Amino acid sequence: MSGSGVLFGERELRAIAERALRAAKGDQAEALVIGRTGSLTRFANSAIHQNVTSREADLRVRVVVGTRRATATTNRLDDEGIRRAAELASDLARRAPEDPTFPGLPAPRVIPPSSSAYVEKTAEATPLDRARAVKTLCDSATAARLIAAGFVSTNVQEIAVASTLGTWAYAPETFAEAQIAAIGDDGSAFAQRVSMDITSLDVNGAAAEAVGKAAIAQHPRDLAPGTYEVVLAPYAVRDMVGFLGAQLNGLAIEEGRSFVGGKIGQSVTGPITLVEDPYDARSIPRAFDFEGQPSDRVTLVEKGIARGVVYDSVTAHRGRVENTGHATPFLIQPAPMHMRLEAGDKTRDQLVAGVKKGVLVTRFWYTRWVHQLRTIVTGMTRDGTFAIVDGEIAHPVKNFRFTQSYHEALGGVRGISKDLSLLVTGEQFGLMTSAQRVPALHLAAFTFTGTTRY
Amino acid sequence: MKNGRLDAVDRSDSFGFGVRAMADGAWGFAASQIVTSQEADRVGALAVEVAKASALTKKRDATLAPVDPVRATYETPMDSDPFAMSFDDRIKLLMNAEVRMRKRKGLRTTRAAYAVWREDKLFMSSEGADIAQRLTEVGGGIAAEAVGNGELQIRSYPDGLRCQNAGGWEILTRWDLIGNAERVADEAVALLSAKPCPQDAITTVILSGNQLSLQCHESCGHPIELDRALGSEAAFAGTSFLTPDKLGTFRYGSSQVNIRIDATSEGGLGTFGFDDEGVPATEGWAVKDGIFVGYLMSRETAAALGTRSNGTMRADGWARVPIIRMTNVSVMPGSAGTLDDLIADTDDGILMDTNRSWSIDDKRFNFQFGTEIGWEIKNGKRRDMVRNPTYTGLTPEFWGSCDAICSESEWVMWGTPNCGKGQPGQGAHTGHGAAPARFRDVRVGVIK
Repeated sequence: MSGSGVLFGERELRAIAERALRAAKGDQAEALVIGRTGSLTRFANSAIHQNVTSREADLRVRVVVGTRRATATTNRLDDEGIRRAAELASDLARRAPEDPTFPGLPAPRVIPPSSSAYVEKTAEATPLDRARAVKTLCDSATAARLIAAGFVSTNVQEIAVASTLGTWAYAPETFAEAQIAAIGDDGSAFAQRVSMDITSLDVNGAAAEAVGKAAIAQHPRDLAPGTYEVVLAPYAVRDMVGFLGAQLNGLAIEEGRSFVGGKIGQSVTGPITLVEDPYDARSIPRAFDFEGQPSDRVTLVEKGIARGVVYDSVTAHRGRVENTGHATPFLIQPAPMHMRLEAGDKTRDQLVAGVKKGVLVTRFWYTRWVHQLRTIVTGMTRDGTFAIVDGEIAHPVKNFRFTQSYHEALGGVRGISKDLSLLVTGEQFGLMTSAQRVPALHLAAFTFTGTTRY
Repeated sequence: MKNGRLDAVDRSDSFGFGVRAMADGAWGFAASQIVTSQEADRVGALAVEVAKASALTKKRDATLAPVDPVRATYETPMDSDPFAMSFDDRIKLLMNAEVRMRKRKGLRTTRAAYAVWREDKLFMSSEGADIAQRLTEVGGGIAAEAVGNGELQIRSYPDGLRCQNAGGWEILTRWDLIGNAERVADEAVALLSAKPCPQDAITTVILSGNQLSLQCHESCGHPIELDRALGSEAAFAGTSFLTPDKLGTFRYGSSQVNIRIDATSEGGLGTFGFDDEGVPATEGWAVKDGIFVGYLMSRETAAALGTRSNGTMRADGWARVPIIRMTNVSVMPGSAGTLDDLIADTDDGILMDTNRSWSIDDKRFNFQFGTEIGWEIKNGKRRDMVRNPTYTGLTPEFWGSCDAICSESEWVMWGTPNCGKGQPGQGAHTGHGAAPARFRDVRVGVIK
């Protein structure tokens, strides 16, 4: 491996993929190569305590023999390592049981142009750049007599897909991220910023938001659990969108676990519009999926009406529908990876002003399915939960546990903010696969089923 | 396997090295998959550069509790090396179990899976440690799903699809997946028409061993991580209600509750020879007779308490920095006999078996769990099946309500092979021995 020192580059990833395809022994073969340089500077108690950087690349070879197939993954990318992975996948594929529902690899299709998701300055950020950003966050907290914890990261990732059918897709991506929890003696608040371009990463904005909110989050009071009107900050809305997105795919329909199963064309939420838009230039665009297929823009929910779900080649074949190009790295299930909950017309202050008696939630934590078909999720509030009285934030409250159907909560949308936040979720394959742009929401009813003591 | 066909066959390997360096009193880490002398020089220098950048916000020099550097090796004991077996032999077990499940009409999805895992690692330090370890794990399971009446019901065995332990293939054959397949399928279908869990009721709950193991993982294993208690995970995984001032005095649970930290337990996912700071595997108590008495520690956090590390630092691979992880944190058996004995001793309550949903707050205080299945207990007998059982509580109150734990004959070393922590995210494999146990006055039936 060589590359520029930051990027592996299209030529090098293509060479790896082609060597793998040549070494594979089957009817069809596919190579996915992912390069990633991840650097993350983590701080707690207002000082850096973990500071890491790693440059990694992995090859996944998928070999098809009739309707049998298998994959092998390696990070040994010399000739011998590539050959071994290809031969191993070939051998496993020959011995795997038949799968009559497997359609074979998808044929190559033209990938539409999209905005670049790569910014050189992000890729070239240094440990000192990240440490200076951390210092800004920590100093802001210290000045307010708070403790800061969080991280600043810069990330480069490259995705390349090739197949013996002629598929070739390559894209480099960058993103920078800052997260801060500002913590006082008896209360905390959180802020997050994400940008493809580190020079526009709003570190000061994150500091101001977390520190400002932490100042009014101290000494939370008891508030009885129950059903309240809520204003959800975008961090909490992202969680809802993520859970619903996990049901908006062909496999979830096939397995009978989607809330839109049998309800396409019917009302499933209040008047929200949720789209999967891989070409959104204000997100982190990517025009193809992890099978090298072009990713379609898909309207998932339009003004509350279920309109569609996303597919990869296998679920599209089994569902007898068009492939929308949403295969994920592990090929476990397709997923919308660039969701956007469309903006409304209110400022965030106006959302709060519209609540007579309710709760403002900054962030959800440790959310898990309780009942998938009904989209019931449980979790906690965290890092800034407040009572709203007569349209104003009245006082902080102790964190709640909620147990709530997410799509039913969206049935009572009373307001949507006009600004969207770009947020990213976790990794797959050491890779950030999903970015969402979401607003703040005012919902008519949200059920809190318990409280904690802080 | 899924629905009688192969769903995925994958084999992956990853090879590389990481360097953790302390410079100017601060930490840096760098890693690479190019394992050459030249790259080692570059990565070592980069780790130092990163450490020096870390010093920009330093408040005090990082200090480490002492450890005696050793030269040693360790290998997971096993009877049957899973990597020496043929693929055909391994897949045959799954196919046979799946066929048995699919005999039952009314299932939407059946699944069977296995995973075999091996880590070879060499730890060396500038203090003189030179430790080679080979860790091997095997896991798997079967699951059946039924859909109808607005319900999706899942039943699995032994504990989801990845009931994993350290050791060889004998782990999976011991569970008798084939012999349990028809029961699992029957229960999944029966759950569709089972009565719902009583709503928002206070009752007695008996947890199965596998559910108690996760309860222990979430509400004891995590809060005894000293890095959390000292604030290192404050923005992400969270902190802990078990702050250092509570050590040795805080009543965590009833006197029945004894929880052990033991990296030497047979078959545990947290069993090894040495941690990733070169500290030997240790055993000790987290909770003794209900009192909180011990943390999971690193060299740095142990120094903050003026003690020595008990060897719990682990990285999930060469590209990640080691952090405090659970080893085997186990609820020790009591004297309540078998599960049948415990049921016979219970007038009224619900038996809950095998986790389906889990959530706990960022101080590990307020939790809510759901299980795949439940049964009413009436007058010492297991009665009607219950669907969607859930229970919720506050950690010390819940453990304080434990009045009986089954005896050693019911105790099993369960495991959590997917414990998430850290940024960048790391997955740890942790072990948790447990037997069924009874808790009084628990709030159940959270969903309507």
